[in-house]
Amino acid sequence: MSTDESSESDEPRHPYETDESFHPMGKEWEDEMRAELEETEYDADLGMQMARDAQRLVAGEISEEEFYAEYHDDVEDEFEADERPIFDDLDGVDLDEVGDDQSMLESLQDVDLSGDDVSRRSMMKKMGAAGLFLGYSAYATHENEQDDEIPEQVSGVRPQGEDEREHRWGMVIDLDRCDGCLSCVAGCINENGTSTGANWMYVFAYEDDQSGQRNFLVRPCQHCSNAPCAKVCPVRARHTREKDGLVLTNYETCIGCRYCQVACPYGVNYFQWGEPDVEMGRLEFLDETPAEVQEMDAGDGFEARAGTYAEEGSDRHEALSEANDHVYDARGWWADSRPPTGVMGKCTMCPSRQDGHTDNPKGTVACMNACDETGMSAIHFGDMDAEIGDDYDRGVRYLERRKNLNPSPTEKNEADPEEDGFGWEEEGSTPQPRDDIYTQEDWENPPAPHDTSQLSTFKLLEDLGTEPNITYIGNEPGPDDEQVDPSTVDDIPGYEDIQRDIQWPVTVKDNRKHHLDYGAGGPPEDTESEEA
Amino acid sequence: MSAIDAEPDDILTPIKNTSWRWFIAFGVAAAIALVWLAAWGYQLQEGLVVTNLADWGSGGGVTWGLYIGAFIWWVGIAHGGIILSAAVRLFGMTRYQPVARVAELLTIGALSMAGIYIVVHTGRPDRLVTSVIESYPWTVQSSPLVWDVTVITLYFVMTATYLALTLRYDIVRLRHKMPKYFAPLYAALTVGYTKKEDQIIERMVWWLALGIIVLAPLLLHGGVIPWLFALLPSMPGWQGAVQGPSFLTIALMSAIAGVIIISYSLRWAYDWEHVLTDNMFRGLTAWLGLFSLLFTWLQLQQIITGVFAAPKDLSKFSFAKITTPEYIAAMTFIAIVLAYVFAQAVDKRVFSLNRSLAASFLVLMGTLTEKVLFVFEGLEYPTFSLYHAVPGHYFPSTVELLSVAGTASLCTIFFLVIVKVVPVVELHAVESHDDHDDHEGEEVRA
Repeated sequence: MSTDESSESDEPRHPYETDESFHPMGKEWEDEMRAELEETEYDADLGMQMARDAQRLVAGEISEEEFYAEYHDDVEDEFEADERPIFDDLDGVDLDEVGDDQSMLESLQDVDLSGDDVSRRSMMKKMGAAGLFLGYSAYATHENEQDDEIPEQVSGVRPQGEDEREHRWGMVIDLDRCDGCLSCVAGCINENGTSTGANWMYVFAYEDDQSGQRNFLVRPCQHCSNAPCAKVCPVRARHTREKDGLVLTNYETCIGCRYCQVACPYGVNYFQWGEPDVEMGRLEFLDETPAEVQEMDAGDGFEARAGTYAEEGSDRHEALSEANDHVYDARGWWADSRPPTGVMGKCTMCPSRQDGHTDNPKGTVACMNACDETGMSAIHFGDMDAEIGDDYDRGVRYLERRKNLNPSPTEKNEADPEEDGFGWEEEGSTPQPRDDIYTQEDWENPPAPHDTSQLSTFKLLEDLGTEPNITYIGNEPGPDDEQVDPSTVDDIPGYEDIQRDIQWPVTVKDNRKHHLDYGAGGPPEDTESEEA
Repeated sequence: MSAIDAEPDDILTPIKNTSWRWFIAFGVAAAIALVWLAAWGYQLQEGLVVTNLADWGSGGGVTWGLYIGAFIWWVGIAHGGIILSAAVRLFGMTRYQPVARVAELLTIGALSMAGIYIVVHTGRPDRLVTSVIESYPWTVQSSPLVWDVTVITLYFVMTATYLALTLRYDIVRLRHKMPKYFAPLYAALTVGYTKKEDQIIERMVWWLALGIIVLAPLLLHGGVIPWLFALLPSMPGWQGAVQGPSFLTIALMSAIAGVIIISYSLRWAYDWEHVLTDNMFRGLTAWLGLFSLLFTWLQLQQIITGVFAAPKDLSKFSFAKITTPEYIAAMTFIAIVLAYVFAQAVDKRVFSLNRSLAASFLVLMGTLTEKVLFVFEGLEYPTFSLYHAVPGHYFPSTVELLSVAGTASLCTIFFLVIVKVVPVVELHAVESHDDHDDHEGEEVRA
């Protein structure tokens, strides 16, 4: 937005004001307005001047007081002495339709003739409406123009811009390293106390439609930077943290409408249909109400729409750290661990860890720890904005290292052009270079089809514009690939097989529907398996 | 033109006479409603685990089902109802003036039922008001569900205003013949009435009707409600521009069916052959047929684009849709209705009130089935279908099914009560139309 172009004029101008017209809708519109005003018996110039200044008023160039002072007298002069009824107002009155005691016409005449106040007031209303309409349309356009300047985090839908935010948490998941052991699933359940079948971390075993090869896809929440779930939430319980892009649910305000679950393309949400399997008392948390936690001093931490993130050393941070709290985030929002009944839950990327008030270090997540413990190290959590060498660069560093292990053809060519694997010279039919396009040198050392690395990476359903923050190394599942029925595979661990690793009274299950179908009483075989 | 022999006193019949049948109807409706309220209490106590809903994805279910389907269905009836009434006023369709108020009341009743479904559907209904209001300035910018709530509220206010304004004229003129015990209510409804206002109110109502007619296709059942679904790119069964028109036709056919059923009941209960004439029912039946035809056409559009060389996700959904027995049943219902409407248009002897009544029930069953299927089949076939448990499965639980009977009963109770309180047929409808017709004509030209 700039008003500089119009600086040759003495008077400050509305940004839309051009030589032809002051109105954003152009000269034609303005002429029409003038014509309409001229049809009335009042001063058209005054009306147009008022409309012009109404726009300056909404643009903030003049104050309401100035506007009023400027026109009050004029308007009085123009309208006060005028006693004529406004016949426009009588349009459509049927003179034949008279009531029993008093005719409609009489009554209207009474009104109009009984005082100049009324006619003036009704005219003022008309003027006001015209001015308001002109002014408002200017205001509406003016506001749109400014949209770029309104920080998007105002709505809690997107993370702050790259310069303002502290991190952009995400993961690099190396599917080539995953053997489907499901330790990450167990690690997540142990960290968060999720109920049976609510597998916030989920691993697909699927077979490639073409080759029949067994593949895995590790599926946490994608913590999208343009998260559909956050956009559609009617109460902004599901939101994106401005500070670091984590997509969380405020368990205190969620109404359980499940629109987030409907809008999420990945199917990562798990609603708390009944009582949680893990009682609140068994979780570790600061034993204060969210309101109390929010009231505690947060220091000079990152300030956002809905509260300040507690700074290290502040009262709130100290209290949360002392409790090794795993339920509140740094704003004092109840947004971590399993949700209460009637509320939506999903993978949180452990915000209490990222806010640095648990015994586990910032920059780690439970699933990654579990995966590392098995020695597989397929999950690499970190700040996806980080440069190599920064804190929390594990994700980007790992990705870079893997890229270097899979050098691009260009890099290969540069290393030893003789060794490149491109069969440009086929026996018997040596293709000739076209001089107009390639030099001989180009022909002998052709440009590589990929200019960076041959490492296959993808983001899930990126085409939908969700800007997911999980980068996968490996091959993307094809459109016809199907998950291997988790209940029938024997060669890899099934969800039931990780039961022994679970610290809670939670039955690990893949198909939750089967479990939920038993309703409030719970399925009979689950109670059996617990006893067993 | 219509209501040839009816006298103003006729419209007071329901208020003055209450038969034993009324008490039986009330008792049955109240009993069903109570059973459902108890079931809802159980749901509040245990959580939504008592429904057959579940998480889509690895969870193997669908997270929206009958509650949302029935919500759209009720909203559709409501929107269609008020469109019908607005059309009567705007286009001077005096033939249908006797049912204009029934349509308006149906709007109020059906919108209330839709509102109840929102409450029933949510996991934490106790937070509905506080959470929604607190975040409104932000969410209204991005959440179709909030647009929905906004527009439905607007609609409720417009309809209630419309109804309150038109009631004043009637109550003032008939008050002396109406029961004394409602006197305070009548006094409240007619507060500040002067004869001068009749003309003004008529204009206000005309403008309100215009607003409703303009808003309905742009914002309501042709806009915001289908946008809840149509704007999500990850569910191929929902996405697309056809949803708006498709929802609107369903709204109109459901509302006309609802109006036929209620008017039929009123005519039967109060011997209103001269007020709610055969001629009017014939007209309503023809409109029912027209909107059923439009609905069928839009279904065909969706099926053809979904099965002929469609993208994989859409094609999976479409094949599933056309092979679902419930969908085939719903479409068969509509086909039967179409056959009847065409036959009675060709040969007037085919028409009978009972057949039109049956056609109306078929339409309502068909649209409710289609709406519920639309909701959960759309969710069953997401673009990301790698999950073994996708498509999930769903059949409503007893608690959920009871809600349909329960809300239908509540809506019945609403009508049973309202017929005892205010005239459900407008006084204008049984007065001479001449003046009004002329006047309306003038305004249309203006």
